[in-house]
Amino acid sequence: MTPPTAILSLIGVRKLFGAHAAVDSIDLDIAEGEFFTIVGPSGSGKTTMLRMLAGMDTPTSGDILLRGIRINDLPANRRPTCMVFQSLALFPHRTVGQNIEFALKIRGEAPEKRKARALDLMDLLRLPQSQYAKNVLKCSGGERQRVALARALAYDPEILFFDEPLSAIDYKLRKTLEKELKDIHRETKKTFVYITHSLEEAMVMSNRIGVMRAGKLVQVGTPHEIYSSPNSRFVSEFVGDVNVLPVKLGSNGMLISPAVNGPLKPPRTPPGFTEGHLVIRPEAVRFLKKASEADNAVTGRLYNEYVLGSRIQYQVRVGDSVFAVEKLGLQSFTGKLDDMVTVGWDAEDAILVTD
Amino acid sequence: METKGKRLRHAFITVWTLTVIVFIYLPAICIALASFTASRYFQFPISNWGLDWWSKTFNSFEIRQLLSTSISIALCVTAIAVIIAFFGALAFARYEWKGRSLYQKLILLPIFFPQSVLGLALLLWFNTLGLQLSWQTAVFAHLVWIIPVVTLVISIQVYSFDPALEEAAFDLGASRWQVLKEITLPVLFPGLFSGALFAFLLSWGNFPLSLFTTGADTTVPEYLYAKMVAGYTPGVPVLGTVSTVGATILLIGGYGLILAMRRGRPAE
Amino acid sequence: MRLGQGEKSAIPVLLFLLAGFAAPLLAVIWFSFMPTRSFSLAGSPTLENYETIFQGTNYISFLWSLGLAVLTVFLLALICYPAAYGLVRVFGRWATLLTLLFTIPLFVSENIRLYGWVLFFIKNGVLLGTLKSMFGLELDSILFTPPAIILGMVYVYLPFMLFPLTLGISMVPEETRDAAFDLGASRWQVFKEVELPLSMPGIVIGFLLTFVLAVGAISEAKVLGGQSVIPVAHDIEIAFTYAQNWPLGAALAVLLMSVVGILVILALRRFDLDRFLGRR
Repeated sequence: MTPPTAILSLIGVRKLFGAHAAVDSIDLDIAEGEFFTIVGPSGSGKTTMLRMLAGMDTPTSGDILLRGIRINDLPANRRPTCMVFQSLALFPHRTVGQNIEFALKIRGEAPEKRKARALDLMDLLRLPQSQYAKNVLKCSGGERQRVALARALAYDPEILFFDEPLSAIDYKLRKTLEKELKDIHRETKKTFVYITHSLEEAMVMSNRIGVMRAGKLVQVGTPHEIYSSPNSRFVSEFVGDVNVLPVKLGSNGMLISPAVNGPLKPPRTPPGFTEGHLVIRPEAVRFLKKASEADNAVTGRLYNEYVLGSRIQYQVRVGDSVFAVEKLGLQSFTGKLDDMVTVGWDAEDAILVTD
Repeated sequence: METKGKRLRHAFITVWTLTVIVFIYLPAICIALASFTASRYFQFPISNWGLDWWSKTFNSFEIRQLLSTSISIALCVTAIAVIIAFFGALAFARYEWKGRSLYQKLILLPIFFPQSVLGLALLLWFNTLGLQLSWQTAVFAHLVWIIPVVTLVISIQVYSFDPALEEAAFDLGASRWQVLKEITLPVLFPGLFSGALFAFLLSWGNFPLSLFTTGADTTVPEYLYAKMVAGYTPGVPVLGTVSTVGATILLIGGYGLILAMRRGRPAE
Repeated sequence: MRLGQGEKSAIPVLLFLLAGFAAPLLAVIWFSFMPTRSFSLAGSPTLENYETIFQGTNYISFLWSLGLAVLTVFLLALICYPAAYGLVRVFGRWATLLTLLFTIPLFVSENIRLYGWVLFFIKNGVLLGTLKSMFGLELDSILFTPPAIILGMVYVYLPFMLFPLTLGISMVPEETRDAAFDLGASRWQVFKEVELPLSMPGIVIGFLLTFVLAVGAISEAKVLGGQSVIPVAHDIEIAFTYAQNWPLGAALAVLLMSVVGILVILALRRFDLDRFLGRR
């Protein structure tokens, strides 16, 4: 289903390196003004795809359309797009101001106009104007990220591409910049296409997410859709710890799993489902005093607990399987390690996937 | 780790290294001393100190001719070597391409080669082609050895060049020529400068290649050699000292400049 | 055929080396098969030059050069290793200054540097003159004997052993050494099991470069050795000039090039230049 105005469209785009398909037939529409993130593990082809969109590589087959016009053969320096690189690629022999103004300088704009624009961008990105003449190598990590972004915005491109720019910086700075990036997206109203290997990062910033694996897009949707309705085991495991049980559909509509004793009540079962996996998020599992308190229950030994800031995750060993149970810290469990406990979940809180 | 043994070892290493350095500079000191005698022959301890030969040398037309030949060769070699080696270094260290590792080894061949044999081979080759030997053939001969060396020197800088810099400039709208002019050349400049310095100094001081390929023209090292063998005057150590001191000043000055350039942009 | 950027950048160098390196060497090889004392490449191929070398006395110069080069490499390995080790691990801030001091001589013409030794060792020179005037000792000069040549060769080729060794030793990460000590190895074991293998690329390059350059040495024998030893390079020069026998000289050169070529190919065949020179 095509969103209102697709600014960028990929139709059957493939990229082959020798016999290996780094990008394997992608169809995608990106709406104007949206923050779209492509998420995938290393080697999934996301960088290759971004580079093709930016013009650094050409597709082996398929078309890339910008507002309906085919741009496969348009080189990067003539596309109204700009990329922020993983290493930021700031010009080390130039100052902050010179870096930001680069695109304007080579387009022949007058120095005063360039400087005015650079200072405006520095304000937008919360860079103190006093940094204008500073050599970029003397800037801190956060400052360099902002300079890179300012440089990319300078000539007002329609689409900005981001190649995992936050992956090499420390946690605290990354969290700050994620939020700022989302704010800047809102203020500039441009289309952002972002790639990262962290679904967590993607969910903070994006309007929509595309999950990529081995060159293919396996699911596209809003962060909420990806999180709560993953269409495959791969996507559901991408967020972090989940409980996954192999299941088969039994004769009476219940699920049978070799991992637990007794039948399990399924969530709404998709028609034609015979076997697959049942995915239960740790926060959907809770401690029970009696098995009848929830649709499905299992008993096991409390093996370990992990404090995750505002939540605590408990590891419960049920036979050969391990169950992860998460609770908000306020409601911490009052038992001890090695106690036998009963945990359970309601049927509708689980997800069935067919792979 | 045993610290006393380590201290002893380090002391030994320091003494050893300093001895080696003295060993290296001893001949230079001897030459400098020999230039300060006023008498015709060398006798140590020097009885007749004087700067006579210094003034004689600097006023000599023949010497000035020599210096001009050596400098002309060195300048030509530097200019040509840096240009060719710049591209050669990009092929060596920047781009991924199919023949690259074979290419890297091919570049090394003229370096891992006895220079005198190379000079003689070139002599044979020039004669076969019927070329008149002159300082221009010497330029060519120097280049055969010096271009690979300069390629290596520049490659060392190119290795740490982030290709994303060129891509970013291109993405921001620059043409290929603008990318070269605004990004590639300025960022690589310290490497180019080191390469130029190496090219000049190696050409200036070269003996084996010059000996066989300059023909009637003579470079400073060749002249000094001839005089060493027959016709010694204290002008020889004078010129030798000048040559050495000149090279040293150039080297230290050049190195200082490179350090200053690097301080202007601290290493990542 | 569409040429990528790499191929295009390589063309100037390769063309130059083709004309300036490959072509002369091919000419030399061809000449070695030409009839003795001829000056043209158009003669009928013959092996008489090689026969002359092995049946005559020319092979002596060849063996002298090989022997001197091997001895030089061996001596320099011993002399340079402690210094190289010092530059990497002991001297700290001073290392840069010391490296500069070691580098300067490279740019001074070798015959000038060797002549300093002449002035040092010659009768009434710096050494003997001082001994005579201060202690009344009248000793013979060691000049114009083979030991003087060896001294000269060690002197001239020192940087070519020192710098590769330094580079090689710097390739041994300190942490790896520390880990070996931590696991209980003695100083000698750490050297044998960790430092030596990991610095091998530098050692190979140092040995190879020194040997290859030393085997073609000519100035040392001429300046310091008088006529006591004729190395093969001098023999080739004589053949090309005084004896006017290009084919013979070419044959000698081919022999030398073969030795050098085989060593270089063997050593560099699987050498990772990227790791050695820059990409760490």
